[in-house]
Amino acid sequence: MAYAFLIDTTLCTACRGCQVACKQWHDLPAETTSNRGSFQNPADLSFGTYKLVRMREKVIDKRLQWLFFPDQCRHCIEAPCLETAGDPSAIYQDGDTGAILYTAETRNLLTTEIIESCPYYIPRAADDGTLAKCDMCNDRVHNGLKPACVTTCPTGSMQFGERDEILTLADRHLQMAKKRYPKASLLDPDDVNVIYLVAYPPDLYHEFAVAAAGRSDMTRQMALRKMVRPLVHLGSRLV
Amino acid sequence: MQISRRKFMQLTGATAAGLTVSRLGFDLTPIKAHAQMLKTQYAKETTTICCYCAVGCGAIVHTSKQGDGRVINIEGDPDHVINRGSLCSKGASLRQLVENENRLTEPMYRAPHAKEWRTVSWDWALEQIAQRIKATRDTSFEAKNSKGQVVNRTRAIASVGSAALDNEECWTYQALLRSLGLVYIEHQARI
Repeated sequence: MAYAFLIDTTLCTACRGCQVACKQWHDLPAETTSNRGSFQNPADLSFGTYKLVRMREKVIDKRLQWLFFPDQCRHCIEAPCLETAGDPSAIYQDGDTGAILYTAETRNLLTTEIIESCPYYIPRAADDGTLAKCDMCNDRVHNGLKPACVTTCPTGSMQFGERDEILTLADRHLQMAKKRYPKASLLDPDDVNVIYLVAYPPDLYHEFAVAAAGRSDMTRQMALRKMVRPLVHLGSRLV
Repeated sequence: MQISRRKFMQLTGATAAGLTVSRLGFDLTPIKAHAQMLKTQYAKETTTICCYCAVGCGAIVHTSKQGDGRVINIEGDPDHVINRGSLCSKGASLRQLVENENRLTEPMYRAPHAKEWRTVSWDWALEQIAQRIKATRDTSFEAKNSKGQVVNRTRAIASVGSAALDNEECWTYQALLRSLGLVYIEHQARI
């Protein structure tokens, strides 16, 4: 059974409770940041920041809109990072929850290749090349709790549950949102387990709000390497 | 810049071809214990109220049952009537009040014009506060204003705080401040 998130950005107030709750649960350190003229803080995702509320100021129909986008791993149903890695000891999918999980073995992968493969530009590397990103709070989910970010969300912007129920909920939220925002849409609902609802065109929120073509284009070389990789594994086992 | 669903499927399909090779004859499925143990599994649970704004959200504090009894985790209390488990960014960071190497554990004092803070005792600090409030209040006390109306006030001291106090605590606090003659009384939730 797969689980999914619904992130209704029309309800988000950018309180950043999710961002802090994520750090708190995962025991992640704070980052040194500087004033960049935006409340978005830190500036970007990092090895120690799995969740980030992105904020943008846009003029839409001659009115200033402050757009919030709580960015995180989408836990793709068929994850390009997992396929690119081809190494289940480094990146694997939890069959029970649908979470895409990274282990310490990611340090042996080609870091840039994995990051490039992500259509949403999510994974980030430590100095030694180990990759990290949102883990869906897999430990919490297995123990009947919701992810830390969803538990803490004061506005109900973030919802978590079985995928079927979340899809139904997403449609309901979309119908509600469309009354106020005719251009409201769900982002890549068929491909990912973290479904965003946005009020305006997604590129206004964030460059990689929807799967970006340029990022995930697989070169022939990469595909070939993937074809060969299992044979390499086999070879190493025979030796 | 957007990728169509068709493109997405093509992309993942191409990689699936690579995977099928790995399915021929040998199993690469990782043997892993997905169900990790919660870090709060054996922790003691204590309920508390968030100390920041006047909403008064409930939280659960998880402390280690063995060893040092330090705080492992603090999260919203799903049974609390006010917040139903949710917490904003300030509430979500409550654990930092206790588990933070930058936390002050003793009163600090910086004398006028001094550049450095120095550690002082609680007794010294409380006595100084009492003495200075008395001195400021006595020198600035106005019994009557310029129109001759009785005001009994001091405008030299302000109180900023108390948003998380309950009704009875607020009454006591208010009585204390008014008895000194304070008129600038504000709580911190708007700051």
